[in-house]
Amino acid sequence: MTVERIEKAFLILSAAMLIAFLGALFYSSVAMGMHLPGREGEIVPTDVRNTPPFDQPGVHEVGAGEYEVVVLGRAWGFEPSEIRIPAGSRVTFISTATDVIHGFHVEGTRMNAMLIPGQITRLTYEFDEPGEHLIICHEYCGIGHHLMYGRLIVEEGS
Amino acid sequence: MSVQIENDPDTHAEETGIWSWITTVDHKRIALMYFATSLIFFLIAGAQAILIRIQLFRPANDFLSAEVYNEFFTMHGTSMIFLVAMPMAVAFFNFVVPLQIGARDVAFPRLNALSYWIYLLGGLYLTSSFFFGAAPDRAWTGYANLTLPQFSPGLNMDFWLIGLSIVGISSIMGGVNFITTIINMRAPGMKLMRMPLFTWMTLVTSFLLVTAVPIISVALIFLGFDRIFGAAFFDPARGGDPVFWQHLFWLFGHPEVYILILPAFGAISDIIPTFSKKPLFGYPIVVYAGILIGFIGWGVWSHHMFTVGLGPFADSFFIAATMIIAIPTGVKIFNWLGTMWGGSIRFTTAMLFSVGLLAVFTIGGLSGIMHASAPVNLQQHDTYFVVAHFHYVIVGGTMMGLWAALYYWFPKAIGRYLDETLGKWHFWTTLIGLNLTFFPMHFAGLYGMPRRIFTYPEGLGLEIWNQLSTVGAVIFGLSGLIMTWNVIQSYRKGERAPADPWGASSLEWALPSPPHHYNFPNIPTVRSREPLWDEEERREVEGVTMAPPKAEPHMPNPSYWPFLLAASITLSWALVMTGIWWVIALGMIPTATCVFMWAFEPAFPEGAEH
Repeated sequence: MTVERIEKAFLILSAAMLIAFLGALFYSSVAMGMHLPGREGEIVPTDVRNTPPFDQPGVHEVGAGEYEVVVLGRAWGFEPSEIRIPAGSRVTFISTATDVIHGFHVEGTRMNAMLIPGQITRLTYEFDEPGEHLIICHEYCGIGHHLMYGRLIVEEGS
Repeated sequence: MSVQIENDPDTHAEETGIWSWITTVDHKRIALMYFATSLIFFLIAGAQAILIRIQLFRPANDFLSAEVYNEFFTMHGTSMIFLVAMPMAVAFFNFVVPLQIGARDVAFPRLNALSYWIYLLGGLYLTSSFFFGAAPDRAWTGYANLTLPQFSPGLNMDFWLIGLSIVGISSIMGGVNFITTIINMRAPGMKLMRMPLFTWMTLVTSFLLVTAVPIISVALIFLGFDRIFGAAFFDPARGGDPVFWQHLFWLFGHPEVYILILPAFGAISDIIPTFSKKPLFGYPIVVYAGILIGFIGWGVWSHHMFTVGLGPFADSFFIAATMIIAIPTGVKIFNWLGTMWGGSIRFTTAMLFSVGLLAVFTIGGLSGIMHASAPVNLQQHDTYFVVAHFHYVIVGGTMMGLWAALYYWFPKAIGRYLDETLGKWHFWTTLIGLNLTFFPMHFAGLYGMPRRIFTYPEGLGLEIWNQLSTVGAVIFGLSGLIMTWNVIQSYRKGERAPADPWGASSLEWALPSPPHHYNFPNIPTVRSREPLWDEEERREVEGVTMAPPKAEPHMPNPSYWPFLLAASITLSWALVMTGIWWVIALGMIPTATCVFMWAFEPAFPEGAEH
């Protein structure tokens, strides 16, 4: 089978693009520390509020510039509904839902996770710029879905 | 220069009248019924879309209540996929495939009629939920565990899961029928690699139907057990897993995307060569690309689920597979461009829609590649960006392709042209309307507007994009009305069409328009990929297809059992809603009776050889 020169160029070009895309992804996850939401463990959804750490939803400082935020999603709101953290800190979100599946999308970032009843999801992100982000439930959760939002405020660092 | 028709219409005419339509097993009549029904559902689901858009025109609008809004977007999505796009493609499978391969009907004519009646009655059952004030309201994806009875009381989701189960039966049977027809009933010389692309893509789609649709059927049955009989497949409180639903749904849902798009690809692969006066560029590559899409389509479903947290290995696999599937699709786009290159192009309405598909579908394809990358996907997941993407693919791909097919095959089916002036109006309002509706949604999504919200507050910068979308939706709605008007008018008094109005290459154009009810008076022999574009072969073929039949063609008996069986299957399923075991058991009696009676009814007239 003879392949025309220009067609061959096209084939090589598209293969090269594909390799470049995958390379960029690999680089971002290995060298730049980009994390996708990960499954951390299981939990009995009816007993979430008595199971640590979800008995104390909120922001917890775990080290210098290291924070852990325990988030609960329920119909129709987040606990805590307002998260305040200083700029330049590295934040790990540990989250689940108490009733149905909700979403946890921090606007203006690539942080987006499903809050799934029965599953604990972990997300890590570094907030460098001070500012205010809306937290949106992206997963349709019934009649009050449009009312389900929270706020994440990155405060001027010390 | 066609051969004179010396057919005595009286001896071979088909009956008319309501009863003949109810009992018909003729694939061409079933095709017309499929098309008319899907057109009506298209108008209903389209009206819902326009009401949705009016609600979103202003922030904090109260044109619709949240409850009605949720019902509308759920039924809009469910109907457009299962009651419009799929069956409208099946209408063309039905009409075109037997004619293209030189067969007198499909392999199982009564099963074909059954498919149609189940689709009609299942669709009516699903839509009737509005009259009971219990329309489904949990989105077309029906994510568990929101759909479990403790979070969705009422009959709403019962209507949804039972309605889709009924319609699914029709799709599976349709797939079986077309695979058998295409494999077994080709005319002599019609080798696989001589089949027109539309038939090829029908074959690939049919394989996807029989493999993918059972998955959603199983998922729906699990959900039905959860809802009606208290099982716990998807209930995390009792050890079930809601993510299991997502896997099942998208394992069906992603091949479903290719079920929707491949028929459109097939149609324009026949239309573009006709109006470019050139054979399809790289025919085998287009076929292989279609098959490859069918295969890789099975390995990409979890790109709908990057936010679930599947782990880095699974995420990377689905990123790679999703990027790879763009390749065969891109190959096809270049093959169509290659076909047009240097051809003498005629811009009929069918060709305009085909070229429109190339342009608009490609935009949807590009945003699809953006989603493939998980970090980008996370920013767009369940925002209006995704809504923009899949409407570009389904409206700009599937629907544009089906409308191209409509303008192309209408003269063959009815014997009259669709009006070309109205057709151009239809095309331009579609093109402007759909871009104006869906392009601004990309921006609304990037500004963070989530899907499925019934209203949004002021001051988030979402107003302008939503207003543009609403204006576009009204224009797009207008295009649907123009098309409907065109179909009705041209059906009654359109310009008469000859046997081969477009100078096309495949077998169906060697028959009179509309064809005899037995399609081919005598079965032709095929010697090439474009039998009608070779002077000598065309004479040979038409010598057979335009002559009176040598022997009386034996066509299958009409039957009312398909209709009765479809009605009793719908009834059996509807009674499951009661949740009372003996009612459900009694409800199966009519179905069993109809199956029994069907089995003992002779399919062909006494003594007929076939």
